[in-house]
Amino acid sequence: MNLQRVWAIAGKEWREIVRDRLFFSLAFVVPALLMLLFGYGLSLDVENIPFAVVDHDRSAASRDYAYRFIDSRYFRFHGYVGDERMAGQLIGSGEVRVVLVIPPQFGKRLAQGRPAAIQTLVDGSFPSRAMTTKGYVSAINAAFSLAAVAQAVSHATGLSQQDALAQLTPIALESRYLYNQSVSSIWSLAPKLIMVILMLSPPFLTALGVVREKENGSIFNIYASNVSRGEFLVGKLAPYVAISSVNILLLWLLAVLLYQVPFKGSLLFFLPATLVYVLCTTGIGLLVSVLVRTQVAAMIVTMVVTMIPAVLYSGLIIPIVSLGSGARLVAQLMPAMYYTDIVVGCFLKGVGLLSLWRPLAVLAGYACLLFAIGYRLFSKRPNT
Amino acid sequence: MKWLPSGWQLHWRRFAVMLVKELKQLGRDRVLLAFIVYAFTADIFLAASGVSLSLNHAATLVQDQDRSPQSRELLSRFQQPYFRMDGAVAQDAAALAALDQGRAMLVLSVPPQFGKQLANGQSTSVAMQVDTTNSVLGFLATSHAQQIVSQYGLESAMRRLGLDDKAAASLPKVQNDIRVWYNPNQQDSWFMGVAEMLNIATVFAVLLPAAALVREKERGTVEQLIVSPLTPFGILFPKVVSMTGVILCGVALSLFLILIPVFAIPVKGSLLLFFALSALYVFTTAGLGLFAATIARNLAQAGMLSILILAPMLFLSGAWTPPEAMPVWLRGLMYASPLHYYLDIAFGVLLKGQGLAELQPAILGMSGIGLLVFTGGLLLFRKQFD
Repeated sequence: MNLQRVWAIAGKEWREIVRDRLFFSLAFVVPALLMLLFGYGLSLDVENIPFAVVDHDRSAASRDYAYRFIDSRYFRFHGYVGDERMAGQLIGSGEVRVVLVIPPQFGKRLAQGRPAAIQTLVDGSFPSRAMTTKGYVSAINAAFSLAAVAQAVSHATGLSQQDALAQLTPIALESRYLYNQSVSSIWSLAPKLIMVILMLSPPFLTALGVVREKENGSIFNIYASNVSRGEFLVGKLAPYVAISSVNILLLWLLAVLLYQVPFKGSLLFFLPATLVYVLCTTGIGLLVSVLVRTQVAAMIVTMVVTMIPAVLYSGLIIPIVSLGSGARLVAQLMPAMYYTDIVVGCFLKGVGLLSLWRPLAVLAGYACLLFAIGYRLFSKRPNT
Repeated sequence: MKWLPSGWQLHWRRFAVMLVKELKQLGRDRVLLAFIVYAFTADIFLAASGVSLSLNHAATLVQDQDRSPQSRELLSRFQQPYFRMDGAVAQDAAALAALDQGRAMLVLSVPPQFGKQLANGQSTSVAMQVDTTNSVLGFLATSHAQQIVSQYGLESAMRRLGLDDKAAASLPKVQNDIRVWYNPNQQDSWFMGVAEMLNIATVFAVLLPAAALVREKERGTVEQLIVSPLTPFGILFPKVVSMTGVILCGVALSLFLILIPVFAIPVKGSLLLFFALSALYVFTTAGLGLFAATIARNLAQAGMLSILILAPMLFLSGAWTPPEAMPVWLRGLMYASPLHYYLDIAFGVLLKGQGLAELQPAILGMSGIGLLVFTGGLLLFRKQFD
């Protein structure tokens, strides 16, 4: 490999990128902008769920029950509604997601020390949200129930209400939140956003860069020159890796300074590991560009093989263990999952090479494989 | 061809010729065609079959230092589908290592004397370490665990206080009967399958027309079109129509080949309505792509601009994350995204069986955006070449 030739190709590519002002600025603006937008917008917390109440009882107890929901930060009170039919319409139109239906006699039954029933209607069109909502409803219901039972027990046994409550809850669950003590959504999100954005931007830059030359026909200059395949590919990709390296720093700074995510690991491990990941994603761009002939196809193929898997099969929103077997296989075939371990480990867990050498090795192998395939498939004598 | 009557027939001819040109151009790109088919079938199958946004099989390790009947009883209540017991761990260090490496999400520890204390009516505790690198799931796991533990605590307390089942039935408990509408079993495959279909349609709806327009610019063929008797509308419209046709075929493919036969998605509303509104959606979204293409001078620029349009659309549409939790200013921005309305429409028609009346706000919103974007795009396009 002749370094001078590599340098010449890289220089040519770099000039081409820089001269296209809009493209050059977009190469930096897009990742930063996505980080800002998703960081502020992509909250996974299920909060402020709009809900309505149908109160057929209108007793102190029914108001008390509804108030437990009104007072909770997980729910946002939409108002009382007259009957179930109107409540159904509200759910249908998506104005509320939950309706509590309190039957007549609710307060009376409780006062008599008898069990009472309540119906809750949940909009299930978004299953995960419905599940979380059900969790909240059960928790609030259990707390209300327990208080009512404690009152009854204290009545029957003569214990004070507080003692009765303590008797009824003999086991405490002491939860310790590891890695993210405040259970803050942005802490768990921002590091993974770095993963997603570095999966989107480098392959796009690369694929478009290589295919552009094919479609314009300027690649025939390369075919005709004495530049070897390896020299061409390395020179061609170097500027895109360089741009992405700057973006790594940019994204890291945004996560640490803007979102105040603690960085517990070592930069000395994080930066090279991230570079390996960027080499992987650049390699995906290279592979796509070798396989397709038009820039349109390059764009679309890159988009579909990177953007959606980066979200669904990377652990961003859904942990890998929760995936079905087919999807888990896809996850294991993509570099994103391995890098998620690395970026989360570096930011939140503060672990380094000792714990993370395995995903790093996979990524390194992945990068080598992609470049080897790209090198094999890139032919200086195309058939067409 | 002077004998041809002028007027609509001429326009129709031009339109037909341009339409055929666009379809031919697309048809020649074999890789792209194959990819469209893949995206609308295999990709959607994978998403629907494997991806669940709920807490499922949280890998749990237990550290039972008591080994009493009580501790076994309590631990046995942590069950599928939420929890998956992955075995026991003896030491704290091993537990921590498992959490560090992501092999476990939860570690439950029951202290020694747990059973004895419980039997004596002393208060005791169970410790749980939760990996909250995924905050939502960590939270869900904790709340499920909390319910299991307090339920077990309540039961054993009742037994100790001599309140048997019959007595327990006469306590002022509230039974909350939760009914889930539209997707009673909360099948993630319904949701993920449909959402993925919409996402794929969106990707193509933005990219295909954008690329088709920029390509003409880059190769200079747009100059030829401009000097032809075609109006800007006459150039853009066939592009959008042909792409809309292709994408609708894709949607039909995924609906009739994957979603309905494989995942048994109920089609409660009218399919005709769904396809008509899908066409409207693709049309509107294509406008966004054309907008990017008008601003861009080459495909590389168009590509980066499209990411800027697409990524927020997909990420913030509410398909992956709950829109209620978004900051207000962003939710406002989402009203400008056609995907926001299309989600309402697709789930409304397919799962809820809604008709025109219920969907009116969504349809109006989407048409409004479509009109705005198209007029804006046409004006820009004309300005560039006049």
